Amino acid sequence: MLARAVPLVLLVAAAVYLTLALRLPFGAAARPGAGFYPVIVAVFAIVVALAATASAFRGAQRAEAVALDAAARRRVVISVVALVAFCLGLPWVGYPVAACVFVTVVLRYLGGRWTTALFTGALSSAGSYGLFAVLLDVPLPRGPW
Amino acid sequence: MGPLEGLAYGFSVALLPSNLFACFIGVLVGTIVGVLPGIGPVGAMALLLPSTFAMHPATALIMLAGIYYGAMYGGSTTSILLNVPGEAGSVVTLLDGYQMTRKGRAGAALTISAAGSFVAGTVGVVGIMLAAGWLADVAIRFGPPEYFAITLGGLLLLSRLSGGSILHAFVMVALGLALGTVGMDSISALRRFTLGSVQLAQGIELVPVIMGVYGVAEVLLLAEEGIAKAQITSVKFRELLPSPEEWRRSTMPIARGSVVGFLTGLVPGPAAVLSTFIAYTVEKKMSKTPEKFGTGMIEGVAGPEAANNGATAGAMVPLLSLGIPFSPATAILLGALVVHGLQPGPLMISQRPEVFWGFVASMYIGNVMLLILNLPLVGVLVTVLRLPQHVLATLVLLLCLVGAFSLSNSLLDLWVLVIFGVFGYALRKLRVDPSPMVVALVLGPMMEKTLRQALFLTRGSVVDLVARPLSAAILLLAAVALFGPPLVRLLRGRREKP
Repeated sequence: MLARAVPLVLLVAAAVYLTLALRLPFGAAARPGAGFYPVIVAVFAIVVALAATASAFRGAQRAEAVALDAAARRRVVISVVALVAFCLGLPWVGYPVAACVFVTVVLRYLGGRWTTALFTGALSSAGSYGLFAVLLDVPLPRGPW
Repeated sequence: MGPLEGLAYGFSVALLPSNLFACFIGVLVGTIVGVLPGIGPVGAMALLLPSTFAMHPATALIMLAGIYYGAMYGGSTTSILLNVPGEAGSVVTLLDGYQMTRKGRAGAALTISAAGSFVAGTVGVVGIMLAAGWLADVAIRFGPPEYFAITLGGLLLLSRLSGGSILHAFVMVALGLALGTVGMDSISALRRFTLGSVQLAQGIELVPVIMGVYGVAEVLLLAEEGIAKAQITSVKFRELLPSPEEWRRSTMPIARGSVVGFLTGLVPGPAAVLSTFIAYTVEKKMSKTPEKFGTGMIEGVAGPEAANNGATAGAMVPLLSLGIPFSPATAILLGALVVHGLQPGPLMISQRPEVFWGFVASMYIGNVMLLILNLPLVGVLVTVLRLPQHVLATLVLLLCLVGAFSLSNSLLDLWVLVIFGVFGYALRKLRVDPSPMVVALVLGPMMEKTLRQALFLTRGSVVDLVARPLSAAILLLAAVALFGPPLVRLLRGRREKP
């Protein structure tokens, strides 16, 4: 399914890209405008995405990714959900809390114990905050506290 | 400044305490990421890029390049001891390296591998000194049509050589080129494809994309496996010495591997990986006993290990002399220089000699450091593998997140990181190499700018654009590389049919 979905998504993205590129000033060959190059890229993208989609639907079994077992899939999904949650939560709860929760949850579901996960989460959050925010002056959000 | 004078000046820069320290950190991190399976040098370079913003450009380049060539040394350690390649450039090494371990010759394989890497690294640096200076002198005469031809030809060659399906490589190139157009148009200042976002006007940053497709994607692959513990073979110091016979048999493979590696590095594509396969094939063809390859032949370790280090040096030539990166790793080095307001290219060698020569000299020093790190300390290095992988994977993810945010303190970079991390993971599952996308993202804006300038100069004549001798030669070469093999196959097929 992944082998068919990826080229299809890219084909749709290429079509949207072409639509947006056509709205830009094209110019002329001697004075190319801001849309000149994107239109060329869009046409190239549509041609190759069409060919890739056709190829995927013809012989998808060959390129299909190996299916994961339920536990492996869960570990990957939880890692991705944790990444998204970190991005969403960072402006609201601040870096120290977001990092601590992120490390604890990911570590726990990748195979660590709750206590080890919580301890590593707190330690890595404090350590990285100290290194980046205090020593390197990166303005990491602190949250409401 | 001549090469010897330049090198002497370079050593005066590279031996400054700050640069020596940066070189040491670079090669140490490189060796460690080389040893650790799943975390490659490109991801590590992207992770450490933000930490170089406050450094002098020469120091930044020295540290980041140290990670790149250091990983080639470290990668062989796990290939030889564990039958697991630390990074892609060491896959071939395991064929004979691990068989040597099974025969009790792990120490000899490690020493020959480190010696080969050292020789190739040193030969490569001499190659950079000679080739980069010469190419830079030639490139001063290049105009927009030539630069356009080089970028286009480079992308075509990369698509052919990146491995896997050429169609997939083209899709990746198209995606990279399209991503490169997001943001403000450099000529008309018009915002393109920003969907009303002010942050997107700056364009899509290269580093979060690289951190995503190489860092996050690799960690997601590790996450699939859960907890894994390595069974480590211990090597005693006295076992490290190869026999005189092993030294004799390795000499020529190391010499051939160094040259093959350096030349492969000059060509766009995954040079470090490709060079090892070429070197292995060369050694097998040259051998009187090719059937013994794969059973623990020292030549099968010496040639490829020299080649991958030669290739990392060769890949620096187009970057330093033309300002054009043909691989994700050199794209990061370009990014590090651009952040400091430096544009690598033909003028950098004369205008910023401390950066060019300091970097070249640091590679000599780095190779000596790596030899010391990888031989007497090999036992210490493999203990890194005792670190629980799930803890390491989680901490790498956290570092990716902080690193992406710290680039420009922007949440957009975090989202780019996550989106490209998931996308990179999907690509790995489909066995599609993301390198053409990353290189196209870097070369795209350069290609657009030179195309528009060239068309302006030739008054819109595409014929004039591609008919200039050098442009024509480069495009012809790329076309031959692209269409030559399928044409030959087609013709052979027809000839075989009655």
